[in-house]
Amino acid sequence: MASVGVAQFHQVFFEESLEGLDAMESSLLALDEGGDSELVNTIFRAAHSIKGGSATFGFPEMAAFTHEAESLLDELRDGRRAIDGAIVELLLRTVDCLRGMFARAQSGQPLNNAEAESLREQMAAALGRQIEPKAPPSRRAGDHADAWRIDFRPHPGMLAGGNDPLRLFRELAALGELRVQPVLDRLPPLAALQPAECHLGWVLELRGQVPPDQISRDQIAAVFDWVEDECELTIAPLHVVADTPVPAVAAVPAGKPPAAAAVHSAESGSVRVSIDKIDGLIDLVGELVITQSMLDQFREEFDVAKLALLQQGLTQLARHTRELQESVMGVRMLPIGSVFNRFPRLVRDLTQKLGKQVKLELVGEQTELDKTVLEKIGDPLVHLVRNAIDHGLEMPDRRRAAGKSDTGALRLEAFHRGGNIVVEVSDDGAGLNREAIVAKALQRGLIASGDQLSDEQVAELIFQPGFSTAAVATDLSGRGVGMDVVRRNVSDLGGAVAIRSRPGHGTVFTITLPLTLAIIDGLTAAVGSEHYIVPLVSIIESVQARPEAVHRVTGGGELFRFRDEYLPVLRLHQLFGCAGAQAVIEEGLLIVVEGDGARAALLVDGLIGQQQAVVKSLEANYRRVGGISGATILADGSVALIVDVAGLIRLQSRSKAA
Amino acid sequence: MARILAVDDSVSMRGMVAFTLRGAGHEVTEAEDGQLALDAARGSTFDLVLADVNMPVMDGIAMVRELRAMAQYQGVPILMLTTESHTDKKMEGKAAGATGWLVKPFDPDQLLATVKRVLG
Amino acid sequence: MLQLAPTATAAEPAANGAVSARPQSVVVTLPADCRMAAQAHLLQELLAALDACAIDLDGRAVERVDTAALQLLTLFKREADARGAALNWMGASVALDEAADLLGLAKTLKLPAAVPA
Repeated sequence: MASVGVAQFHQVFFEESLEGLDAMESSLLALDEGGDSELVNTIFRAAHSIKGGSATFGFPEMAAFTHEAESLLDELRDGRRAIDGAIVELLLRTVDCLRGMFARAQSGQPLNNAEAESLREQMAAALGRQIEPKAPPSRRAGDHADAWRIDFRPHPGMLAGGNDPLRLFRELAALGELRVQPVLDRLPPLAALQPAECHLGWVLELRGQVPPDQISRDQIAAVFDWVEDECELTIAPLHVVADTPVPAVAAVPAGKPPAAAAVHSAESGSVRVSIDKIDGLIDLVGELVITQSMLDQFREEFDVAKLALLQQGLTQLARHTRELQESVMGVRMLPIGSVFNRFPRLVRDLTQKLGKQVKLELVGEQTELDKTVLEKIGDPLVHLVRNAIDHGLEMPDRRRAAGKSDTGALRLEAFHRGGNIVVEVSDDGAGLNREAIVAKALQRGLIASGDQLSDEQVAELIFQPGFSTAAVATDLSGRGVGMDVVRRNVSDLGGAVAIRSRPGHGTVFTITLPLTLAIIDGLTAAVGSEHYIVPLVSIIESVQARPEAVHRVTGGGELFRFRDEYLPVLRLHQLFGCAGAQAVIEEGLLIVVEGDGARAALLVDGLIGQQQAVVKSLEANYRRVGGISGATILADGSVALIVDVAGLIRLQSRSKAA
Repeated sequence: MARILAVDDSVSMRGMVAFTLRGAGHEVTEAEDGQLALDAARGSTFDLVLADVNMPVMDGIAMVRELRAMAQYQGVPILMLTTESHTDKKMEGKAAGATGWLVKPFDPDQLLATVKRVLG
Repeated sequence: MLQLAPTATAAEPAANGAVSARPQSVVVTLPADCRMAAQAHLLQELLAALDACAIDLDGRAVERVDTAALQLLTLFKREADARGAALNWMGASVALDEAADLLGLAKTLKLPAAVPA
């Protein structure tokens, strides 16, 4: 495999193979539900490409493994074997096993393991044979002679097929001394000639260069390998030499040299970007350059008469900068389909295990998300989907009793709303069991026995840390497995989770995510001489507090009455130690915020405006600060801190508890 | 050197083939399925076509059949890149008008040797 | 590429529609690329040239050639001989010469030794 150049295609091969495995998986699942034969072709193609690529790029174990799967698929493809659940299951496990092999290949570990061996044996058994130990290419050595006579009569169509006797004769001439005698007995009249048709024939004599130098029949036959069906060919020795056994041809190593080692073990953390996006960027930069050169003329000489032109230029500059920013962000955006794709399999496995019937619907797979968000949203979604199947959707008999169809509906949908991406997991199951949740919350001391809770508040309970563990969740017909973890994961991504449930009709989990982690939309608020940015996604409202709405409670806390709720007031100037800030609540402004399902009112001096902030990590540049998620640089060059609302509320409630 | 059309839906295989051939000084045009290859072939003439068998949209065998029906591709060498060591695919390709085949896996040296063999 | 040699101008021009007398001499220049795609056209030229008493073939420009081209020339040579037309090579390129040699057709075609371009 020598060449360093080829190693650069390993990563590409890994990526496309993993995509191929995804396609195999989803097609297998569709096949399981009675899909058409084109699905088999898709699956076959993917397996076939992986086999060819793995052999080419130096992963023979993977090639041998995929070969078995391909043989099975081949039988499915031409109908020699019926498609049934067992074979789909076997192939699905093959897909999983190959994913494992790719992971090991990427980190430079040995590809085969016990599981792979066992699967390979199962496939071989299904094919009705034992694994063939790779038979050495035992080519019949063939007889040898020091001279041969070759009668060669091409069929008329041979030339059009691209096989030119010139090439064949050149190859023969490389073996020894070649004499060529044309046979012109079948030539048509010139006027009747179809130039592409061959009417010539030849008698050739081939001799070893030096008398003891012998030529084997196979050497000659190999020259004609592509045309054996397109000609009449006889190869006969001119002077027969004894049929001597040929010294072991098998000594020629049949296999390839050991797989080229240097596979990059570290994941490259790269993004595949479509050419369209890159072209778009290049266009924008081009426009920017034009605008810049237009503005450049004002540097030389400025004339008030040109003011309009300058303004126009600046407007253009602003527009192009914004577009460029959006496009550059777009480079990090990938369709959520890659995350959704894992669910058909998950749902199938889970429903089979539980004996439920569920139809999964995926909507909005093309919706794009920031790569980082995409990588981290998978686990929370798996959690929600598992929960929906485990606890939300009922067994067929219970559904029937409730007047619903046997098959439950589970829907994963992604879409844009405002500046956010919304991902919803909805089911038409039993909905939250209010009594069970309230009972559990009482038992856990999360609520007091006299508390009157709205449906919304009951739903919120399941997100409380310690509300439930896997052990109690199975007793509950409600939900609850690690919902606090889901909420925390989502909130780490700058997003929020909400729940809506109707008893008997189902449950909807709504995850709201920012488009990107690199930029946030926020309100800039002044606190003393400092500026803070409050993410727009956390803001419910900002209000001027009237004196009667603020209540002081024992212990020094302050509560602000907002609609029917009492919210703790968080004085940013106190929390962050800002001098010269407005300390009188009624004189300042309260921003009502929500994070992790809890609400609070932030006291600031006033609002400066709304802006997009490019998030700079505080952790990377300084250290982690509680209640702050990052920093940004404002237009005037000063630094503003970005408020981590959920963190701030947590901080506050902890200090209160202490 | 020669103008070569490389057709394969696998980015890595196509990349490897194109990279190797360009390294040997050939001018390589890439296409990711048979249909796109035909589009490329109509607008240009190639000295050699290398094509995968299994491809979406239009597979290699249908592509060869179409190419051979075009006057300017009579006699132009077309090689199938095939993993099938069993003969049916090779023969199907041949029947459609392919010149010969190159069995995967092949390494860059084998590729260059075969290309040299056809181009002389 | 088919051009009448000066001696042919004595004959009646074909333009008046009458069947012209057999031209004295005609030159056929083989194109640089003589491979299959060019042969339908070349065949027509060669067929037209068969009417002349003497045919000069110019193979000096040939760079690429295939077996089909040499088959075509072999047939043309046989046909010209049968009609008693004198076939004369004005020269042959190395590529043409080598190909004819390899196919064993150099003698049949009476190709001259190549004149390196």
